[in-house]
Amino acid sequence: MTTDFADGRMRLTVLGGYLGSGKTTWLRHQLHVGSFGPVHVVINEAAETAVDDALLGAASGLTLLAGGCCCCTGKADLIRALRDLCDQRSRISSDAPRLQRIVLETSGLADPGAIVAAIQGDPVLVNHIVIDETVVVVDALHGLAQLQTEPLGRRQIGAADRLILSKCDAVAPATLTLLRATLRNLNPTAPQSAAVLGEAIALPDLPAEAEAPALAPLTDEDTRGAIFPTRLIIDPDIDWSAFVLWLSALLHARGNDLVRIKGVLRTPAGRLLLQTVRKVVQSPEILPNRSGPGEDNTIVFLGRGFRPEHLQKSLRRFLGKAI
Amino acid sequence: MCNACGNPSAPGHWTEAGADTPGDRLRARFHRADLLDKVLRPYGLTAHDGGMVPGIQMGTLSGNQTIVPDLASLWAEAERMLGHPIDPLDPAFLNDD
Repeated sequence: MTTDFADGRMRLTVLGGYLGSGKTTWLRHQLHVGSFGPVHVVINEAAETAVDDALLGAASGLTLLAGGCCCCTGKADLIRALRDLCDQRSRISSDAPRLQRIVLETSGLADPGAIVAAIQGDPVLVNHIVIDETVVVVDALHGLAQLQTEPLGRRQIGAADRLILSKCDAVAPATLTLLRATLRNLNPTAPQSAAVLGEAIALPDLPAEAEAPALAPLTDEDTRGAIFPTRLIIDPDIDWSAFVLWLSALLHARGNDLVRIKGVLRTPAGRLLLQTVRKVVQSPEILPNRSGPGEDNTIVFLGRGFRPEHLQKSLRRFLGKAI
Repeated sequence: MCNACGNPSAPGHWTEAGADTPGDRLRARFHRADLLDKVLRPYGLTAHDGGMVPGIQMGTLSGNQTIVPDLASLWAEAERMLGHPIDPLDPAFLNDD
């Protein structure tokens, strides 16, 4: 196994997606080709009988949590299993090769956002585990229908850092474009890629003018209107302390309306990747410097309950007297 | 983590990212407390960070004091003290008059 990361903590990838979307198939192929390196896999199944574990022999370790979705009823089991892993790892000297990566395959009924919140809210796990990425698998065949009717499906898309479209060989290109435009509406920051039986296939660029079908508001969802993306351009001279003051206050007051925030901010320490899921903020990562201005200092807010132009105004006025 | 006081309970709160050396961290704390104090004063609250005690010391103008570990807890405490959250999207910040 590889040597420790600089902060000594393990990296956790959360793999989510709706029931039967192809999570295990994708993971199985990734393990087969070794794209994660040596990895411990934690599988959660909502049902009492587990089948997925039989398919994932290529992992260097496997924990199975059956009978309870780990974002709700099985949360305690998940935390205990992860703590056990941390315990075992802590008994090995940091000079010796030891476990560096964990992949958590959630059940199809789990909200990845709730799992990320549970892990980051645990006082032990937060010292041992950094959440690396939330990968969500979307069923190209059934995805559109699920998104029309299932609030959970929409929450899963919203929580993703990266979307993988499975079963792309089974749908017509026009249907795929519709689905991709819908996904782009729900989560514009997550890059989309495609796979057939886990193997990556090339995806043509999504035309900018591709129209997404209107999604009916769901009764289970809030009545405060649809979630929409807003881009906030940050002044390159902004003071990081002042910015986080505003953002942390905003998250405290409006966290339930701000489903996701993502962007790269230039600070004196380097380029910081900032991302949140509801009130949970992942520890900002310093990204390697890249030449060219790119998309830096643009932060995307996905939320509801405010007017887009108010964000910029609020940032300026809230700190008006302070800076 | 300190066995006596449990500080820090978690490594680096996200709002403290970007300051790597101890000197930078201390400077950032002073600066943050300064900014915070200016934001909180209109609400009748104060913030102070002397750099010695871990966390941010916040209080009311009537002398009620408490120490909070990070900004997330600070806004929660402010909500408790005021009875409502400090909302940056409050119309008071947004109206043009």
